[in-house]
Amino acid sequence: MRWEPPSPPPVPSLVTFSGDRGAYFRLVAKGAGLELVTAGFYRFWLTTDVRRHLWSNTTIDGDAAEYTGRGKELLIGFLFALAILMPIYLAYFLVTIEAERLRAFASIPLLLAFYAFGQFAIYRARRYRLTRTVWRGVRFWMDGSGWAYAWRAVLWGLLTVLTLGFALPWREAALERYKMSHSYYGDLQGSFEGRGWEFFKRVWWLWLLTPFALYVVIALPFLYAAFKAAEWRWWLSGIRFGEVRVESTMTRGALIGLYWKVIGWVALLMVLLFAYLGLSAVVAASMKGMHLNYFFVSRAFVRSVPFLVLAGIGYLAFILATNVVIRIYLVRDIWVKVLSTVRIRGIEATANVTAKGELASALGEGFADGLDVAGF
Amino acid sequence: MSIENAPSDDAGLNQREGVVYFDGQSSRRRRVSLRFADQLEIGEDGVAPVQWDYSDIREADSPPGVLRVTCLSAPPLARLEIRDPQLAAELKSRCPRLAENQVDGRAIAKIVGWSLAAVVSIVTLVMFGVPLAADRLAPIVPQSFERRLGDAAEVQIKTIFGDKTCNDATGQKAFDKLLRSLRQAAGLDTAVEPEVLSTSVPNALALPGGKVILFSGLLAKANNPDEIAGVLAHELGHLKHRDNMRNLIHDSGTSFLAGLLFGDVTGAGALVFASRTLVTSSYSREVEQSADTFSMDVMQKLGRSPKPMGELLFRITGKQGDSELSILASHPLTEDRLKRMSQADRPPTDPPLLTPDEWTALKAICRSKS
Repeated sequence: MRWEPPSPPPVPSLVTFSGDRGAYFRLVAKGAGLELVTAGFYRFWLTTDVRRHLWSNTTIDGDAAEYTGRGKELLIGFLFALAILMPIYLAYFLVTIEAERLRAFASIPLLLAFYAFGQFAIYRARRYRLTRTVWRGVRFWMDGSGWAYAWRAVLWGLLTVLTLGFALPWREAALERYKMSHSYYGDLQGSFEGRGWEFFKRVWWLWLLTPFALYVVIALPFLYAAFKAAEWRWWLSGIRFGEVRVESTMTRGALIGLYWKVIGWVALLMVLLFAYLGLSAVVAASMKGMHLNYFFVSRAFVRSVPFLVLAGIGYLAFILATNVVIRIYLVRDIWVKVLSTVRIRGIEATANVTAKGELASALGEGFADGLDVAGF
Repeated sequence: MSIENAPSDDAGLNQREGVVYFDGQSSRRRRVSLRFADQLEIGEDGVAPVQWDYSDIREADSPPGVLRVTCLSAPPLARLEIRDPQLAAELKSRCPRLAENQVDGRAIAKIVGWSLAAVVSIVTLVMFGVPLAADRLAPIVPQSFERRLGDAAEVQIKTIFGDKTCNDATGQKAFDKLLRSLRQAAGLDTAVEPEVLSTSVPNALALPGGKVILFSGLLAKANNPDEIAGVLAHELGHLKHRDNMRNLIHDSGTSFLAGLLFGDVTGAGALVFASRTLVTSSYSREVEQSADTFSMDVMQKLGRSPKPMGELLFRITGKQGDSELSILASHPLTEDRLKRMSQADRPPTDPPLLTPDEWTALKAICRSKS
């Protein structure tokens, strides 16, 4: 065989995003409207549409990914989760009574069980999403146990609380190691090489600044954005699938603009909401023939049905618009920003991967929905 | 007629390639040529062509400029990707059911229709099903379970209000006498455990399982035995109707059903909370109203007027109509309760429930200790 001189390995970007922002805006705006009409039941399909858009527009090494999950699966998962959660809530209630008989508020530690259940849901939801992710005709998949993960998360969580957040980087590293070493692309096993210490080195100064930022509220978004950027960079740079190595070049300030845009939009929406509420008050007061000042001073406004109805409609419009803003900036724009920093080495290892792995049910997503938890 | 595309003969990573095929078994990128015969033939050098029935071909998600299709009879993840617009158009024209997988207007209309049906059924359940369940289930809950519930509640109450029970002997005697007459008139055969708790909060509670707790703050504000008797009769009414269990079943049922709506829509929690509060407080007002009715009946049976209870309440809360949003209140407005009790007012026909001495002793029940 011919010997080839070692050349410095090129690190091509390999990852591109081709989604149209306008099309995405229409997708989430329409979705928000449908969520309103369906009292929120459309969320399963909206979530699915958002993922389909993001996945299918993400191209890695020339081939786009695909999300094969469907809204109906999420709905069924949610219904099954409800059926399982109901007896659990009942059992929780009965155990609570016994604990409270012994000592007032002795049942509060029981909430820990729900935290563990939430972590279980996060693991299983990730498994569902991963098995619906297809690239080059081969799906990603996961094994491992949701409960084994949940107990790790609880113990590390306790340690993090006891150390006032100091242990957080090591918690994330340990949990990520568990998740990634049980993740596969076909027969290519994943792993996580990020170390808690490296993450700590990137964020310790944020940890020190947080107590001050709690006084200077305006500093909080900066700190949070810097923390998230460091977290993304560290997390991405630790991901491995066989010989494939992911890297990220995300800078500390990369996400600051995004968070401020969200704050700006929500503030603007609030101003609009209050202007609208003021206008509704004028209308409602004039309908009653009351002076506006008296309308407020006498607290008549809390008993005025037209005002309450108008206020309810205004609030609905506000939360729908807020949801659109969040889905644009904190889902799509962050996705695009993150992808733009990703570099991949050793992509050749994916040239001939054998398909493997079973589909997982959406039960985990259902639990996550029922318990109101979210995570990667 | 058959059209064949020439496979491009240059290799490379990111250059334009007409047609790529993934067989769903491995991630190998296969550069193939297409032949539009009776079936779609996907041909790779040196391998027998794969054949796809046109009516089995469905479109899968893809980035702009790429037509990505899958086939029902092929492995589920087998994908054919066409980057050549002409070729894509040609394939599209031959596949009659290409778009069947997509969520179109009709599918959305179906989702909306079913969601509305679900909303209607949830609202119906909240309005009729849950109150019915509460009324029917509460009486069959075993006493022993209710006791446990009451014990747990008592531990909490004593943690909040302090564990100072008043048991001055003569006061206790007067208290027992008052309750005995009330229980007889009320026809209450279950065990009742009365207790006076030393706290400045003016209130009285009936706990599940039969414990009645009178806060000394209420005693301090009362001017005569009838005022306290009315309040105690009201609490006995809660026990008789097993209102604690009914409220528990009603509130948890309503919370659960209301929680199904708007799930993860950020900010909708406030709406769900508001509508749930509306429903549970309306139910609670009904329950309080019927306990008032019960109390008025008992007082009249004893030949005493129900009006003093209303006066005591009014002394404590004042007129509520100006400050409270009546549809969110857990109790009827005090002025309305007073009005109802005043309407039932009539001169007492029987002697007072306690002698002046006994009344003085009851008022002083908390003196001996503390």
